Amino acid sequence: MKIFSESHKTVFVVDHCPYMAESCRQHVEFDMLVKNRTQGIIPLAPISKSLWTCSVESSMEYCRIMYDIFPFRKLLMAALAAVGPPNPRADPECCSILHGLVAAVETLCKITEYQHEARTLLMENAERVGNRGRIICITNAKSDSHVRMLEDCVQETIHEHNKLAANSDHLMQIQKCELVLIHTYPVGEDSLVSDRPKKELSPVLTSEVHSVRAGRHLATKLNILVQQHFDLASTTITNIPMKEEQHANTSANYDVELLHHKDAHVDFLKSGDTHLGGSSREGSFKETITLKWCTPRTNNIELHYCTGAYRISPVDVNSRPSSCLTNFLLNGRSVLLEQPRKSGSKVISHMLSSHGGEIFLHVLSSSRSILEDPPSISEGCGGRVTDYRITDFGEFMRENRLTPFLDPRYKIDGSLEIPLERAKDQLEKHTRYWPMIISQTTIFNMQAVVPLASVIVKESLTEEDVLNCQKTIYNLVDMERKNDPLPISTVGTRGKGPKRDEQYRIMWNELETLVRAHINNSEKHQRVLECLMACRSKPPEEEERKKRGRKREDKEDKSEKTVKDYEQEKSWQDSERLKGILERGKEELAEAEIIKDSPDSPEPPNKKPLVEMDNPPPVEKSKGPVSLLSFWSNRINTANSRKHQEFAGRLNSVNNRAELYQHLKEENGMETTENGKASRQ
Amino acid sequence: MPTVVVMDVSLSMTRPVSLEGSEEYQRKHLAAHGLTMLFEHMATNYKLEFTALVVFSSLWELMVPFTRDYNTLQEALSNMDDYDKTCLESALVGVCNIVQQEWGGAIPCQVVLVTDGCLGIGRGSLRHSLATHSQRSENNRFPLPFPFPSKLYIMCMANLEELQSTDSLDCLERLIDLNNGEGQIFTIDGPLCLKNVQSMFGKLIDLAYTPFHAVLKCGHLTADVQVFPRPEPFVVDEEIDPIPKVINTEGDEVGTGITDDNEDENSANQIAGKIPNFCVLLHGSLKVEGMVAIVQLGPEWHGMLYSQADSKKKSNLMMSLFEPGPEPLPWLGKMAQLGPISDAKENPYGEDDNKSPFPLQPKNKRSYAQNVTVWIKPSGLQTDVQKILRNARKLPEKTQTFYKELNRLRKAALAFGFLDLLKGVADMLERECTLLPDTAHPDAAFQLTHAAQQLKLASTGTSEYAGYDHNITPLQTDFSGSSTERM
Repeated sequence: MKIFSESHKTVFVVDHCPYMAESCRQHVEFDMLVKNRTQGIIPLAPISKSLWTCSVESSMEYCRIMYDIFPFRKLLMAALAAVGPPNPRADPECCSILHGLVAAVETLCKITEYQHEARTLLMENAERVGNRGRIICITNAKSDSHVRMLEDCVQETIHEHNKLAANSDHLMQIQKCELVLIHTYPVGEDSLVSDRPKKELSPVLTSEVHSVRAGRHLATKLNILVQQHFDLASTTITNIPMKEEQHANTSANYDVELLHHKDAHVDFLKSGDTHLGGSSREGSFKETITLKWCTPRTNNIELHYCTGAYRISPVDVNSRPSSCLTNFLLNGRSVLLEQPRKSGSKVISHMLSSHGGEIFLHVLSSSRSILEDPPSISEGCGGRVTDYRITDFGEFMRENRLTPFLDPRYKIDGSLEIPLERAKDQLEKHTRYWPMIISQTTIFNMQAVVPLASVIVKESLTEEDVLNCQKTIYNLVDMERKNDPLPISTVGTRGKGPKRDEQYRIMWNELETLVRAHINNSEKHQRVLECLMACRSKPPEEEERKKRGRKREDKEDKSEKTVKDYEQEKSWQDSERLKGILERGKEELAEAEIIKDSPDSPEPPNKKPLVEMDNPPPVEKSKGPVSLLSFWSNRINTANSRKHQEFAGRLNSVNNRAELYQHLKEENGMETTENGKASRQ
Repeated sequence: MPTVVVMDVSLSMTRPVSLEGSEEYQRKHLAAHGLTMLFEHMATNYKLEFTALVVFSSLWELMVPFTRDYNTLQEALSNMDDYDKTCLESALVGVCNIVQQEWGGAIPCQVVLVTDGCLGIGRGSLRHSLATHSQRSENNRFPLPFPFPSKLYIMCMANLEELQSTDSLDCLERLIDLNNGEGQIFTIDGPLCLKNVQSMFGKLIDLAYTPFHAVLKCGHLTADVQVFPRPEPFVVDEEIDPIPKVINTEGDEVGTGITDDNEDENSANQIAGKIPNFCVLLHGSLKVEGMVAIVQLGPEWHGMLYSQADSKKKSNLMMSLFEPGPEPLPWLGKMAQLGPISDAKENPYGEDDNKSPFPLQPKNKRSYAQNVTVWIKPSGLQTDVQKILRNARKLPEKTQTFYKELNRLRKAALAFGFLDLLKGVADMLERECTLLPDTAHPDAAFQLTHAAQQLKLASTGTSEYAGYDHNITPLQTDFSGSSTERM
């Protein structure tokens, strides 16, 4: 349905002329005597509704159904009461239906909130927003020519108002108007007006005439009309087991009829299966599809093939079976609905369930699913890695859960803050350094780091947060002094893994990476880094000396690895296609290698190729912040190394020169080990 | 999206194609060549899609039912015999049946019709079908438009000039029109040869079978993904918004909260299996935590990611797309209004995960969730009157409910202009008053008389007493304070 079809605006015009005070001549017994009451009392005489009451009641019912299924406007019951019933003695001239019709046309010209929104949104294309409407006029016409007179009146009024609207910003021309004239008359009288199907009176106006007896006939008519106007269809749920009011231990089966958008029947309509349950009730025009109640189950696997959910409205809203069913659903339970079949397996085609006080009819696909037999995720990329930080990411997800913020919030600069953007911001912050697998990280495997890691990702820190971070760092220093073991992963390493002091170096490096990633958040973050740098720094000479003594045992450089991982993740978000990277990367590779070994890199000096270890360190070797160039180069570099195994020669080259047959000099084939690691990333 | 390949095996497909300096080809060879190319493309890029092969002449036959096994399809191509004349309508009816039996009416399908542009003769020919199109009854409805969302691609083993020399092209265009314009005709550019057939099928592949690659992002955590089936552009409203919404290939995973059908699958290869992938991490955690992730696909277009397991042990990351719009699931509210819980004063999920901010309650309750008054059926009215009576007999304990029900009835009666009812109920209450047993509390009689009097006043319709907002309040009596002791 188009957003601004005729159904966007509906105006009810109910005739308030004296004749409408006439009785509909259908009696309603309201004084029902209960069995156990004293005998001999004569019930009060039945009363009957006036034509006006019937009309108002039926219009209200039309609105009720529409609001249930398309909840975008509000009922106007109070306004109706102020009007009150028509006075049979009033002058017929002064309350002519014509005034009502004119007012209806005027109303249709007014721009609705939705139209206004759409027009503002489209700006220069505002003329695309349509203005169509429907006038439902319930009246008692005198004759066919009277009906024609009413039509002419609407026709003329539209013409006039469109002229007015053309020169107004607040009004819109009516492009199309559907006039539904309902002539109603007391039961038992003959209709003076004949039915007429929809007819085009002019390009703008179509009109149809229905001649209906008052009372429940009118209500039925409007029920059919609301279905036609809003593309509704009807489903009858049969076999609802309901406890009897009188005998609580027996239950009888009841039927409840629901209305909903007809798309919920798409499977039946398309396959021409309407005969399936399409029984006619209450006259020959009413089609309903019958579905059988299925005892509720908790297993909701069927929901995966849900192809749509549609709001419903019960036809007979306050009948006992209806309210039993709706209360059952509103209490959070669901009902599966089954297609009645004479034989064969049962087919569940729909499910009724409520979400937040609204009941929806869910369409479940009963045919074969195109998603059947999907491959397991373990067969895909990354499927054979076994040490994902599943629990940690679960915790991460729980911290990043969403919740509705219904009241608008404003940023400091006064612009509207979009909560969803805040959520994305937070994700960005929380993932700046987030290794995906356990063997890539040390700090996230350490309980001692948690107080720091959990607050450092925040947008701003309190004094207390900073204090906690500092405490964490001191604590780590303490651990290092005591030489406590660290949970460094030995996966993929040969032998025992790195020595204790090397482990701490790796840990400090990783912690620094984490803190550095958030350094620009606030000045307090900066203070955490300062504390960290102060605590971890050691006399460089001592470091250097240590390293030289250790160099042969260095199986792999963990710290380099973790930093690389961070870089790697950064590179992933950069959604460059593989080819491009491959092309450019080749050229930049050599350069990148040099930079990796250059003083700009944050790693301690021992990370240069092992071949060179015995040579004096290059003069430019000194600590310093990471430059943008080295960030970029490392990124390209890691992106590349993922694609292919790096040449052993190039990997170990110095200034693009590699020493051949070095393994003759080296012991233990350390180079190959390192190469193996590099290619993993 | 499943595909049905409908291959013309009428005699006209065996017409030779003159090729210089090589062995003789028939049109069906060209067709088979093109289809081979399509199948090979799908085997590499679309391996999770189902394809079926139908051949037709005056009869039709399902050669290969829907399968993901492209070798079977390939084999079938080489085992096709030649039959009699072209009879398109029956073949299209066959396609309708096959698709509906397999997938129902809601799954979109692509139909690739391979023919030579000879549309048959006499009864059953396309010309005959189209000529009689307007005289169809419900029983022999023309199969187009297909009773399922579809695209009809017609691959002509003929070039444009050849088709235009007769009315073939017009007829084929009418077919597309009959399918609500969903589809396209492809013809061979230049002379009929393998190369030009390839370029024709290449165009089809570009149009309808390009793999959908995207990047799944969650902050800095990202993964390249391919999505099966390919999400199609979506037109929300052709009037307001005629440009189809297309998914940004950079999806944003925006967080987690709480069904359609799509599937993420990562092009698997042996080496890639060992590199940590964000999809696997996300899938694992979603599965363990029993959560779903909301994913943003474009402006005002969202979906969700979750772990889907079939009956066996296999599970994978699935993406379901919501209908584009600001509020696809009413019980989640507007998507843009979803923010991180850290912005909330207190954790809306509770400290022990025992609460949830969802579902959101709609501002106005639906009619079935509130106590509405509908008197269209007499039973509705009777129930309401009975309620008042029941409470009337239990006065004064039920004074509050009695007046509540009474006022509800009064309001509705005034709104409906049903003043006779007010008078009727007033009479009834007066009668009840006379029927009170001797043991009744004296207050009961006072309240009944008071209520009846008020209703009578309202039934006159005078504005003084019949105000809609006015409520009948209980009569203040001396008994009311001590009533409980006396009972």
